[in-house]
Amino acid sequence: MPRINSPAELEELRKDILSKRDPNKPCITLCSGTACHASGSDEVAASIGEEIKKQGLSGKVDFRKTGCHGFCERGPIVVIHPEGICYLQIEPKDVPEIISQTIKGKKVIERLLYTDPNTNEKIIHESDIPFYKNQERLVFGSNGEIDPASIDDYLALGGYSALTKALSQMTPEQVLEEVKKSNLRGRGGGGFPAGRKWEECRNASDEIKYVIVNADEGDPGAYMDRSLLEGNPHSVLEGLIIGAYAIGSHEGYIYVRQEYPLAVGNVDIAIQQAQGYGLLGKDILGSGFDFTVKVHRGAGAFVSGESSALMTALEGKVGEPRPKYIHTAIKGVWDRPSNLNNVETWATVPLIINKGADWFRGIGTEGSKGTKIFSLVGKVNNTGLVEVPMGMTLREIIFNIGGGIRDGKKFKAVQTGGPSGGVIPEKYIDLPIDFDELTRAGSMMGSGGMIVMDEDTCMVDTARYFLNFLADESCGKCIPCREGIKQMLDILTDITEGRGEKGDIELLEEVAAMVKDFSLCALGTTAPNPVLSTLKYFRDEYVAHIEQKRCPAYVCKELVSYYIDPKKCQACMICLRQCPVGAISGGKNQIHVIDQAKCTKCNTCFEVCPPRFSAVRRLSGEPVPPPVKDRVLVRRKG
Amino acid sequence: MVNLTIDGKSVTAEEGTYILQVAQANNIDIPTLCYHPALEPFGACRLCTVEITSRGRKRLVTSCNYPVEEGLEVSTNSEAVIKGRRMILELLLARCPNVPLIQELAKSYGIKKPRFKLEDDNCILCGLCARICEERMGVSAISFSGRGLERKIDTPFHIHSEICQGCGACAFVCPTGAIKLEDITDKKPRPIFSEFNVGLSPRSAIYVPFPQAVPKVPVIDREACIHFLTGNCRTCENFCQAGAINYDQEDEIIEADVDAIILASGFDLYDPSVLEEYGYGKIKNVITAMQYERMISASGPTEGQLQRPSDGKTPKKLAFIQCVGSRDTHYKLYCSSVCCMHATKEAILANEHYPDLKAFIFYTDMRAVGKRFQEYVARAEQEYKVTYIRSRPSKITENPDNGNPIVWYEETTARTRTSMEVDMVVLCQAMIPSGSIKDISDMLHLSLNDYQFVNIPDRLFHPVDTEIPGIFACGFCQAPQDIPDSVVQASAAAARAAEFLSRKD
Amino acid sequence: MTTEEISRIDKIIDKYEGEEGILIQLLLDIQQELNWIPKEVAERISQRLNIPQSQIYRVASFYTAMSLTPRGRHLVSVCMGTACHIRGSPRLLDRITDVLKIQPGETSPDRRFTLNTVNCLGCCALGPVMVVDGKYHGKLAPAEAEEVLKNYD
Repeated sequence: MPRINSPAELEELRKDILSKRDPNKPCITLCSGTACHASGSDEVAASIGEEIKKQGLSGKVDFRKTGCHGFCERGPIVVIHPEGICYLQIEPKDVPEIISQTIKGKKVIERLLYTDPNTNEKIIHESDIPFYKNQERLVFGSNGEIDPASIDDYLALGGYSALTKALSQMTPEQVLEEVKKSNLRGRGGGGFPAGRKWEECRNASDEIKYVIVNADEGDPGAYMDRSLLEGNPHSVLEGLIIGAYAIGSHEGYIYVRQEYPLAVGNVDIAIQQAQGYGLLGKDILGSGFDFTVKVHRGAGAFVSGESSALMTALEGKVGEPRPKYIHTAIKGVWDRPSNLNNVETWATVPLIINKGADWFRGIGTEGSKGTKIFSLVGKVNNTGLVEVPMGMTLREIIFNIGGGIRDGKKFKAVQTGGPSGGVIPEKYIDLPIDFDELTRAGSMMGSGGMIVMDEDTCMVDTARYFLNFLADESCGKCIPCREGIKQMLDILTDITEGRGEKGDIELLEEVAAMVKDFSLCALGTTAPNPVLSTLKYFRDEYVAHIEQKRCPAYVCKELVSYYIDPKKCQACMICLRQCPVGAISGGKNQIHVIDQAKCTKCNTCFEVCPPRFSAVRRLSGEPVPPPVKDRVLVRRKG
Repeated sequence: MVNLTIDGKSVTAEEGTYILQVAQANNIDIPTLCYHPALEPFGACRLCTVEITSRGRKRLVTSCNYPVEEGLEVSTNSEAVIKGRRMILELLLARCPNVPLIQELAKSYGIKKPRFKLEDDNCILCGLCARICEERMGVSAISFSGRGLERKIDTPFHIHSEICQGCGACAFVCPTGAIKLEDITDKKPRPIFSEFNVGLSPRSAIYVPFPQAVPKVPVIDREACIHFLTGNCRTCENFCQAGAINYDQEDEIIEADVDAIILASGFDLYDPSVLEEYGYGKIKNVITAMQYERMISASGPTEGQLQRPSDGKTPKKLAFIQCVGSRDTHYKLYCSSVCCMHATKEAILANEHYPDLKAFIFYTDMRAVGKRFQEYVARAEQEYKVTYIRSRPSKITENPDNGNPIVWYEETTARTRTSMEVDMVVLCQAMIPSGSIKDISDMLHLSLNDYQFVNIPDRLFHPVDTEIPGIFACGFCQAPQDIPDSVVQASAAAARAAEFLSRKD
Repeated sequence: MTTEEISRIDKIIDKYEGEEGILIQLLLDIQQELNWIPKEVAERISQRLNIPQSQIYRVASFYTAMSLTPRGRHLVSVCMGTACHIRGSPRLLDRITDVLKIQPGETSPDRRFTLNTVNCLGCCALGPVMVVDGKYHGKLAPAEAEEVLKNYD
């Protein structure tokens, strides 16, 4: 790879790359992020490679494995360029047809297209699909067009032009001012103004400073950073180098959780290639600015994603949080000034430099500028990663983009902010996405996890789930978090298992108040949020669990019984055969009965009973009727 | 220097110090569990949390690691603080309900029974043990392991440590007694025995030799101090508020031109273990008179309780053996002169402490020559249940069932050979001129007599003059004598020296 | 450890010699290589890199990616992320623990399987998900889990 020594040389190279690319040449892109990988995109890729050869098209068709497209519900996704035809949920068996029909025959295969659930209309182009149409994919959009293992792809899209602008046309102070002006707030959860943090770090007196990318994305249900890092690692690198320039740092770290091997791999490749071009290392683009970056893997601890804990982990020690009364921007890694930002925050920087702070401020609300990537998951129809401007309402995201609640169920709440956040019920579903609005409602923006819940979700169980997660992940150093979360979890477990007592809620609130104020780090201080917010909006569910031993959502196993309605059972034997513990007795003409002593509440019978019978009922808070004496079936007519 | 207020009180402090340090320096009490002046603040127990108002905002912060700033307002006991502390203690008590320290702390905040399920742990995970091992001792034999509720203190791989130096610092700083040295290492700690208490109690490497020491300042025993042995620790430095500890201090050799010298080098105690027949060092309940003195002393290691070494029981029958090593052709020929009287005194003291106690003094001759000494001896016999037996016991054996020493002797008046089982034996050991006497006398060209005491050529008319004019000797270094006699001789030597000096002029 | 194993370990240690803050990275590589962190390896690292054994043990016991006991031949991970949770992963986990007869964090006595839970694999669209040896099994009903696991010896 030729070393690029100046902005002019970079433009030369870019022109050269573009000249070698024919925009009209057919190109198949296949989403190869981890989620699509899990859906089998590797096999599809192999199939595509084979078919291209088999059908004699080698060299005539480009094949590009790209990063995550975001519409994870419908992956693997294939987009045929230049037409922009988007095929969803592709399996290897679809590939020969795609090659022969669409590539060669220029014909669209209808059955592989997206079908609008309301109009039944077939949609050809990715951008017309409602899931995408309502998004503003400024940061995430390039994922679908580049092969993360190819720096040339990134350059072809204009990559590293922001870096050039910063290094050759702006002073570090000017870069800092631009980021400050943009009011970019951290995308990792804290929402702290990035420019201010950069400034504090810049002003700290020390020769050696560090910039850090926090890719330890630990919130369960959130995987935006992974997809960004896997799919467009250069965007993050570019932002990092620009930030380092503004702050005066020459050494950077990218801390990636080891559960993201593809992201680790792609970042390593990206760094190597950037080094090869001289975009990392000494005298970048002839500017005199030096910068190197190292990748550091996490090892399976959520708490190590906390900024001071992460910095301790970078020192090779156990990643436990430290007191932050002296900001890490002043004393961080090895006690040197360190600036840590989230992956998405760094990836937004090149856009701000290229298009200007004013452009960025034109998007979003007063207090929250720009766009944010969310992982929209749970009980929605269209599960995936979405990027929307701040200010869009929750309703628009969940319904217009997410396609509403799956299986025709009713929306109950949306959980944001992961284990540090809270639930937002229906009455606030028109809340705009904004750091401060969400915090005011008792939740928080968090890193972007957005978990949609329906009527079948138990809020008490949800609170218990989060506390269980935090109890596992707590480092255990400070008493409030270690002992407080344990006792809150104990109380919640008792409540969900039918041992709730009067006074439990009040005790829960008392412990929560102390944990909130006295914990050492944000894991502890935000740990009570799921409990407090579910109590705020769904207190009645708690009361039902405690006083009536009833779980309104039929989730808490100990409070739920399964009962086959003898009037509806048609003795089809389906549930009897599927019951994993043989708890159902009956026969071809004998009404089925569940042996309550054997039943493990696995829910299988409820799921497999044919909808036209719907004979299996879930009971909670009431005793199970005794089995009927006469079990001879009287078949229904019709 | 910055100005701040704590609980309404205006104080000043150096920039960079922590609120807790400033509070302690101003006698304001803030509870802590994981704080230690010689260790980096840990911020784990959160008990030291205080409420501060800084730049108009109220916040709850831990005082052990929050640096003071100009204009800071601190409240150590606001409602929010007390409420939180109470909950922390309630949670801690649920974890460690049987640890006295936690019970007391919780009680002081009004908590008797936690509203939570009880565990039965005694480690509060304050980390003091692991931190002192790493930060101060530089050993890192133990550390935290696991996380969350699995967090605990352990040796690597839960096996006995090979690098543990057996210093016991971890057990010493542990506030609850959860750390047991035998869990960490196979090594048995070797306590440092207090010389002043004749091995009856341990002392630390930095210690004040005895309450009447001159000067009365602590001294570091270089052979036992971890810092001098390994280069680490220096914990004491962090506690001395006067900054008086100087590890680099060396002996000063002072050269002075003098015209007269008074030698008063005193005595040492003869080690009676050479008299193997008496079993000292082998039979637990045979002790020396000096050990007895420390035991019976109200300021001694047992606070004046007689507790015999083998089982701590109070002896009912006490035997004193006189002339152990003195007036003995095998050991010291001379009489040490004070033992008959100090034994009598000791026997009287024993009976005063324990009216049922009977003492038996096995003597050769009763040297009760001083003023009213004979009456003292008579009183001992008549009022204090002391029996004088004229005999020099031949041996002492041990009753294996109960550790009682058995004294074998001949009743010289009745000419019978018999034995007496007692609870404890006190050996009145010989006294010898202090060990330095040989070197000093060589240095000063003084000769020693046959008994190794400094030679006094003319005892009658010049009782404190040595062979060399201008050098005087007083006290035990020149002859066995008791306190009154030594004091008289000291005055005499001082007077002689003054006389000598004035004549020189 | 055999001399062959020691030289494999030494090669990995060589990569990091002279660098600071590398303990976690080193242990991750060792875990990858040996499937656990034996005591002897910790001793070797301590010898060569002058890091106290207690620190090595502390790091290895803190992180879930490292194991102080040998892991099974097949690693079964069940995602317990929020999205999977509300799609029924607890029931899936129950079934799997019944079938394998071990709890999360444990290895079966015949060293066939190690079961653990992870908090979000990031394929929420496929929830609930079970991963065996890197192969993802999505939208898994509890009843299907046994069938899948039968295929692994």
